[in-house]
Amino acid sequence: MMLLFDKLQSLGHSALTSLQRLGRGHVFLMQVLPAMEGMLFRPGLLIRQMYSVGVLTMLIIVVAGLFVGMVMALQSYYALVDFGAEDSVSVMVVLSLLRELGPVVTALLFAGRAGSALTAEIGLMKATEQLSGMEMMAVNPIERVIAPRFLAGFLSMPLLAAIFSAVGVMGGYLVAVELLGLDAGAFWSQAISNVDLYHDLGNGMIKSAVFGFVVVWIAVFEGYDCVPTSDGLGKATTRTVVHSSLAVLGLDFVLTALMFSE
Amino acid sequence: MSDTLIKIRGMKFSRGERMIIDGIDMDIPRKGITAIMGPSGTGKTTLLKLIGGQLHPDAGSIEVDGQNVHKLKTSQLYALRKRMGMLFQSGALLTDLSVFENVAYPLREHTRLSEGLIRQLVLLKLNAVGLRGAAQLMPSELSGGMARRVAMARAISLDPMMIMYDEPFTGQDPISKGILVKLIRELNNVLDICSIVVSHDVSETLSIADYVYVISDGEIVGHGHPEDCKVSDSEWIRQFIDGLADGPVPFHYPAESVLDDLITGNTKS
Repeated sequence: MMLLFDKLQSLGHSALTSLQRLGRGHVFLMQVLPAMEGMLFRPGLLIRQMYSVGVLTMLIIVVAGLFVGMVMALQSYYALVDFGAEDSVSVMVVLSLLRELGPVVTALLFAGRAGSALTAEIGLMKATEQLSGMEMMAVNPIERVIAPRFLAGFLSMPLLAAIFSAVGVMGGYLVAVELLGLDAGAFWSQAISNVDLYHDLGNGMIKSAVFGFVVVWIAVFEGYDCVPTSDGLGKATTRTVVHSSLAVLGLDFVLTALMFSE
Repeated sequence: MSDTLIKIRGMKFSRGERMIIDGIDMDIPRKGITAIMGPSGTGKTTLLKLIGGQLHPDAGSIEVDGQNVHKLKTSQLYALRKRMGMLFQSGALLTDLSVFENVAYPLREHTRLSEGLIRQLVLLKLNAVGLRGAAQLMPSELSGGMARRVAMARAISLDPMMIMYDEPFTGQDPISKGILVKLIRELNNVLDICSIVVSHDVSETLSIADYVYVISDGEIVGHGHPEDCKVSDSEWIRQFIDGLADGPVPFHYPAESVLDDLITGNTKS
């Protein structure tokens, strides 16, 4: 009986801790959003973070996009050739990339590369008292440290997703046309005639903006809220990757259901 | 203008179940060096954070220059902090900025001075701590002592009315300690401000302090001029000044009796 009570108590404690964390996360977001206004007067802060968060993530996005596009083309070809529909390879590749793979895989890679780096950087600033130091210099760290990183991450994600999809299509073209010998004209004409600018490209971009918002929110919050020890920082970085990835996959289902249901 | 810059009354602060500061009263004068000493973990750094408004007390009040720190709006608190300097134990330098930019940081944030004037001010401040030649180094290239001296230069960049030093001597070699002792004394004399030194380094702190508070277990266990502390017969102060292993601050962390713990094994652990 005591064991059961202990388990229940432990479960309740975990639930309360999670709720508290969720509450703190929302309060934190309410502090960060108004602080974005400061970026208008200090564009240099935003540009530096765009480089750090966006440009430095581009290599992994380009390489991943290329290979994902190539694999998609191969798989589509193997599936469609049996039905004599190999000319539709480009449709499969382009729609998959624009609607799903571009936003989702980019967000997952972004969480692993930029999200974890943001958490570690902010957490380390907290552990080395840099954030406290700023507060004592009458400088709000939410404005100077958090807001530029938040905005940079949010703006970078759709751009990175667009690059991922574009490179992926090029990878698909290389495999379908150069390797498998499909007709280049058919490849492009099929792709163009079956892709809707707003429905496919637009919804993909909206998805990636939502994913970017969530991933960067989790990343900066985990860094700011972490226990400032090596153990606390390690756990916060892990939480960023795990929670961001799960949030992206869960949100993807919800957004897909909302956007593409007939 | 009152001679007292900081007035603390009945302040209590706890973390969870643990009482860190238990109802202290303290007056810190507008001029001179006030040392707050005591064993590790007795709430000295917490006290500085409470004075700076980074933590909120559970009870009591802290007035700095006549303003109740914890009743100020954020903008008023930031205005007050511009007149406070703080030297953190780690230095707390911004690691992505050079030494020069670290010292220039408060000036760039809070003033509209020309680049030429900022350069002159920064080099003057760095010269005061003997590091003008290190202006272009990055924080990762500095020793611990140098980092604290840069942090000192940054703390005085806005010409504050007070500077709080959090454990300035911890982990320093004798030469660095000597430099920091000299700098704290000289800066205080030249700027004619209030300096609060939180430390457990007895000889260094007593050599420069004008007044000393000794706290232990969140309470003030003694205060007076350094000479009075050296000859005090308070067993708290004697244990601290003489570095005795056992006394009012016990050698053993509270635990079950040895008999229960080791012989019968009849304990919770």
